[in-house]
Amino acid sequence: MIEINATILAQILNFLILVIILRAVAYKPVARLLQQRTDKIRGELDKAAADRKAAEQTLADYKSQLADAHKKAQEIVEKANVTARQEHDAAVAETRREIERMKLSAQAEIESERNRAFDEMKSQIVSLSLAAANKVVSKNVDTKENDKLVTEFIAGLNKNMFADLK
Amino acid sequence: MHDIGVRETINFLGLTFNIETLKMTWLAMGIVILVACLATRNLKVVPQGWQNFVEMIILWLHDQIDAMMGPRGRMLAPFIVGLFMFLLASNLIGLVPLMASPTNDLNTTLGLALLVVIIVHCLGLYFKGGHYIAHFFQPTPVFVVINMIEEIAKPITLAFRLFGNILAGEILIIVLLKLMPIWMPIPSVAWLAFSIFISCVQAVIFTMLSMAYLANAVKDDHAE
Repeated sequence: MIEINATILAQILNFLILVIILRAVAYKPVARLLQQRTDKIRGELDKAAADRKAAEQTLADYKSQLADAHKKAQEIVEKANVTARQEHDAAVAETRREIERMKLSAQAEIESERNRAFDEMKSQIVSLSLAAANKVVSKNVDTKENDKLVTEFIAGLNKNMFADLK
Repeated sequence: MHDIGVRETINFLGLTFNIETLKMTWLAMGIVILVACLATRNLKVVPQGWQNFVEMIILWLHDQIDAMMGPRGRMLAPFIVGLFMFLLASNLIGLVPLMASPTNDLNTTLGLALLVVIIVHCLGLYFKGGHYIAHFFQPTPVFVVINMIEEIAKPITLAFRLFGNILAGEILIIVLLKLMPIWMPIPSVAWLAFSIFISCVQAVIFTMLSMAYLANAVKDDHAE
């Protein structure tokens, strides 16, 4: 029952053949597939990490760009404010000058107007006084004497009566 | 195997072969190859169905090998997978009526055990060289006797454990069938169920012990 014969060699050979066939048919493909999957997963994880890094980089870029843009906008607004204030100040100054000028010219006009009125009044007073004198003085005096009298009268008026107009 | 203990033999090239054992071996080989082909047919990167199961077994085996043998053990993985599948198929074949296990023949079990031991020593010499021979003489040269006995005992225990379990199982199946009347199948069925369990356990034991022996030869124990 337990005799040992050449079957032992045949069995060793059989088993070696079986191992070789199994290795070629079953083990190799499965092992290769497992390795392939490991590689694939590792590659994809690496890629995901790289992608995330790139995304973070891009985000940081955008953030800094946004901050720059904000700063620039702030500067522009400030500059505009400054310019507006300067223009406003200039306009106010200009207006003040204008007002000053207008006041001066108005004063000058008033002055010249008054002088004119005064002159006119003076001449009217001359003719009125003349008429009055003509009526009052019944005596016939020649015109030359008359004019002289009136002019003297008016010169006296000028000093005494219109002093408060000035 | 109806006449217990008598084996049909043929002579070929002046050598004697147990023809039934050989036939059953080829049948077991065929079953193993068929199962392997069916299981690994149509492999995909995204696993599905049976592929999960096959991958689970191979990953478990890789874990075992890495834990027991270290990085060099990977090249022995096909050998160990083959050993386990062949033993399982061989043990279970014998439980089918009119068939016999190839492992109920000492030639098969001793052949496999010797193959394992030869591989162990060859790999030990290849990977460790002089260290491997020197470790038989440690801690003192006197220990060489004990170590030799141990090394010789390895294949013998490996072979006889499997052979004895399987042969006993088959003999008892026949004995129970002849002993019990036909209307009383319970003992036979119970023994058959137990034999299935024994077949699996013995396949696992043989494989695990082989791995342990191989690990001794392959592992770098001093991290050389």
